Amino acid sequence: MTSSAFGFDRHISVFSPEGRLYQIEYVYTAIRAAGNTTIGVRGEETVCVVTQKKVPDKLTDPTTVTSMFTITNNIGCAMTGIRADMKTAVQRLRYFAHRFEYENGFEIPVSHLARKMADFFQLFTQHAFMRPLGLAITLIGIDEEVGPQLYKIEPSGYFLGYKATCVGQKEQEGTNFLEKKIKKETKLNKDETIQLAISSLQSVLGVDFRPSDIEVGIVEKDSPKFTLLSEELIDSHLTAISERD
Amino acid sequence: MSGIGTGYDVTPTTYSPEGRIFQVEYAARSVENSSTAIGIRVSDGVIFGVEKKIISKMLVKGSNRRVGSVGDHIGASIAGLTADGRRIIKQANSEAKSYKDLTSEAIPLNVLVDRISSFVQMHTLYASIRPFGCAVMFGSYNEKDGAQLFLVEPSGVSFGYYGCAIGKAKQSAKTEIEKLNLSELTCREAIKQVAKIIYTIHDESKDKEMELEMSWICKESGGKHELVPDDLIAEAEQFAKDNTVSTNILNFDNI
Repeated sequence: MTSSAFGFDRHISVFSPEGRLYQIEYVYTAIRAAGNTTIGVRGEETVCVVTQKKVPDKLTDPTTVTSMFTITNNIGCAMTGIRADMKTAVQRLRYFAHRFEYENGFEIPVSHLARKMADFFQLFTQHAFMRPLGLAITLIGIDEEVGPQLYKIEPSGYFLGYKATCVGQKEQEGTNFLEKKIKKETKLNKDETIQLAISSLQSVLGVDFRPSDIEVGIVEKDSPKFTLLSEELIDSHLTAISERD
Repeated sequence: MSGIGTGYDVTPTTYSPEGRIFQVEYAARSVENSSTAIGIRVSDGVIFGVEKKIISKMLVKGSNRRVGSVGDHIGASIAGLTADGRRIIKQANSEAKSYKDLTSEAIPLNVLVDRISSFVQMHTLYASIRPFGCAVMFGSYNEKDGAQLFLVEPSGVSFGYYGCAIGKAKQSAKTEIEKLNLSELTCREAIKQVAKIIYTIHDESKDKEMELEMSWICKESGGKHELVPDDLIAEAEQFAKDNTVSTNILNFDNI
């Protein structure tokens, strides 16, 4: 008796008769349902990731609300999806990165970290005892050999490197918008990278941001440390964007 | 749209077609069914106030505590399934001890909260264990970091707060807390306000009698988590009774 005959194909990660994994499909819905959108853009020497910062109520201390995390000094990520799962994923990323450095003596390449995390996510799609984490990870860093890197890791275990990526509630709109803006020959400097990321998010969500509505994280070739931009810097970029338009 | 109990709500390892994890949402409902607890962060400390239902006249006053200490420098307050809350506080004490054994220092509150959130969230990942049916507020006060207040929810999400309310009447309690000027209050003044809020949200007609339980971690208590001294509680309760408008429509004194 197949488990789909009992109707479990929607409840645990087993194949449906049409060959679909319903639970994986529902995880993607969970990410969209969480309500935030994240955009990442890779320029010539800078990578930038922008995500929404929604502070749930007035009494919440806004300094404790964040979706951007440092993994190593030079690698950072934005998490989109179920907030409760974010810490688990961050701990795991940090563990992989530091274990690699301890065993090999040099910093983990961004692509390798992405692959390891993606393989970790894939485990949950095959084992019934645990659910997949309801998050997508947008990972950024400067690779010593290849330069700026932007990776997106999805809960199915699928991961790819990107020139620009969008994930979350407005994923489709964001991706379409970025595809129009970035052509094969597009070369972006630092300010252009950051401003493209911010303006894409503004356009896709249809709002004008205040500096406290978003979090912006960058790494650049000359200063590969993963840093979050201060509100003043975000404000200057927002002003530059509105003056351009 | 899947509603309640349509088969996707049996284990925490199942996502519904809308991407919801029902078991975690149901655990949050346990918290909403409990009597209210509030925590506020003021200029010189943190105060917890709990509306305890007296389920029997045979109960000794002060039994069935809803607050607990972690080490002696952090206080915690529970709403929801109290037994689950005690498990969380026990884990917190274990984390505090292991941190102290390793570093010879008292565990900072944000580190503790991070670990407890992960601990709580872990219980939402497996089919073999159920999520915690309680939310726990943590507070501390020291000279270096000032007053801090955090809430850990059954999903494992945690944030820092200036003021926090959990349980049945959390909406009305939050409205009352927002009226206060938290950054300027001292603990002594805040105790009265907390008592007043608890008395205000307590529904005399619907609920049984209540006992007010308050604890604080503040400059006056030397950064230690203690129950608020009895004389101060008595003073606060008097203030509360004098200043609370009765929520009963029928007040025979006025007819």
